[in-house]
Amino acid sequence: MVGAIGAVVVCAQDAPLPSGSVSVNVGNHSPVTVISTAQDQSRATMRGAAMVLDLHMALTLRNDSPGRIHGITLRVVSQEVAMGGKGSVTIPSLNVAPGEVFPIRIDMQLVRPTQVAGGGPLAQVDLDGVLFQDLSFFGPDRLNSRRYLTACEKEAQRDRDHFKRILAASGKEGLRHEMLDSLQRQSDLKPLAVKVRRGGPVVSSAAAAPTERLAEFAFLQIPDSPVEPVQGWAQIAGNEARAPQVEVRNRSGKPIKHVELGWIVSDQAGKQYMAAALPSAEPGLYLPPGQSAKVLQDSTLNFSSNGQPVNVRKMTGFVNQVEFADNTVWVPSRQTIDLPVLHKVLSPSAEELRLTNMYYRKGIDALIDELKKY
Amino acid sequence: MKHPDQATLALQAGGDLGVFARWKVERHLASCDRCRDEVDAFAALREVSSDLSEIPEIQWNRLAAEMKANIRLGLAAGECVRAGEPALRDTPLFTGMRALVAVASIAALMITGIMLEHPAPTVLADDGMVVQSTSNGIEVSKGGQMLRLNNPDNVDPQQRVTYSPDAQGSVRSRYVDPATGYVTINNVYAE
Repeated sequence: MVGAIGAVVVCAQDAPLPSGSVSVNVGNHSPVTVISTAQDQSRATMRGAAMVLDLHMALTLRNDSPGRIHGITLRVVSQEVAMGGKGSVTIPSLNVAPGEVFPIRIDMQLVRPTQVAGGGPLAQVDLDGVLFQDLSFFGPDRLNSRRYLTACEKEAQRDRDHFKRILAASGKEGLRHEMLDSLQRQSDLKPLAVKVRRGGPVVSSAAAAPTERLAEFAFLQIPDSPVEPVQGWAQIAGNEARAPQVEVRNRSGKPIKHVELGWIVSDQAGKQYMAAALPSAEPGLYLPPGQSAKVLQDSTLNFSSNGQPVNVRKMTGFVNQVEFADNTVWVPSRQTIDLPVLHKVLSPSAEELRLTNMYYRKGIDALIDELKKY
Repeated sequence: MKHPDQATLALQAGGDLGVFARWKVERHLASCDRCRDEVDAFAALREVSSDLSEIPEIQWNRLAAEMKANIRLGLAAGECVRAGEPALRDTPLFTGMRALVAVASIAALMITGIMLEHPAPTVLADDGMVVQSTSNGIEVSKGGQMLRLNNPDNVDPQQRVTYSPDAQGSVRSRYVDPATGYVTINNVYAE
């Protein structure tokens, strides 16, 4: 397929992609069925010695299961192009009843040298997982979608309950005020561009890099967290952070199999940014009650904002997500994420984003009707 | 009657034309004595050429020595003829602005060469797999290959796209899809 497209594009410089360029497979006994696939606008273009493939897909899926779907993740793989790199498209905060159809859009661009030959589809889209209302899950879960979708659903329940409480306590005006406050916070968030590379430093010349120093994490104490961060460090050189590691202790009564810490950095002017998530390495963490373990990653992160490097002066960590061995997931409470230090830097949950978007587009009454559905 | 050009006839004589072109020329030759003669002449020339290629063994060392001696003789003769003229370096050709331009050009060439040989130290070592956010999406790249998941063009400015990197080697982008109204989370992984 790739070779055939290459031959066509070399002649034409710009050509539509033939059908069959992307394979869509949701697997056997899947709770969803592909109703239609459209990729009319997809094109292949020659740019110098490279071929650029723009894939615009519109999928329509149907819920063929007896349960309500609350989240779905599709895996996108182009083995030939990305050499092991892969992508995924997740739709959390769904509420799809049995028999209902729902759309998913995938906008993807692949760049590869013209000379690469090969057969098979350019990209493969397959189902990684479906989460239902009762938190049951279906799918191969190659990308840990079960944990991610469950965490999104827990955050969604938390935030819907929060907005319902406000509606009950302060009425329509109270809810409107809360929505406006959230929209303001979303537009005030300082974007931080981060480049992540597994392994060594991003800067190639050690002579040019500022002197590397070992910087220690400060931790935000969250009383109801099942995990307590004890100590942690990262190697810092200017706007680069390398090899972060944090020792954590399980203070819950259940064994833990995954911990994710949030990582906040402050620059020389004291501005704070949500820099990254620091998850425990996959796979292998098993943390019995009362025991300690290290959360560490052999990666280098490069921070910048508006094209300018953000030199790291201070680092703060907090427990953001915990998965227990029984597949249940803990996320911070609403009281925790409303703490001033987190309120300034944390993006809202997917559900808060959806609900504020609904208020912004359809008004307060549509939002109240939506909250009543849950 | 339209005749084939000389190049076509020469290729026909050597049997180097493609199938269709050869068929066309042969049809023409069947009815054109003039072109047939041309082709015969080219064919005869090929015979001579192949004979010429069989040249007797040459004593290269002796030939080289003779050429060197002839060159020296030519240089000596040139000096005799130029006697009394100013030396080359004293001619106006290599003085003033022209000399300055020549020196500046050489200097620029050398500086460019040094810069290309020793790149600026902040050049990124992107020989490994890198994940990052870009102006319109998130991408994983290695060498000249790249997979990018794009954001829609018309995301609400009030609720812009947020990016969340992960120290394990992935980056997430999140937005409300204006077409579907769903929160969509794209993720690329360097694994």
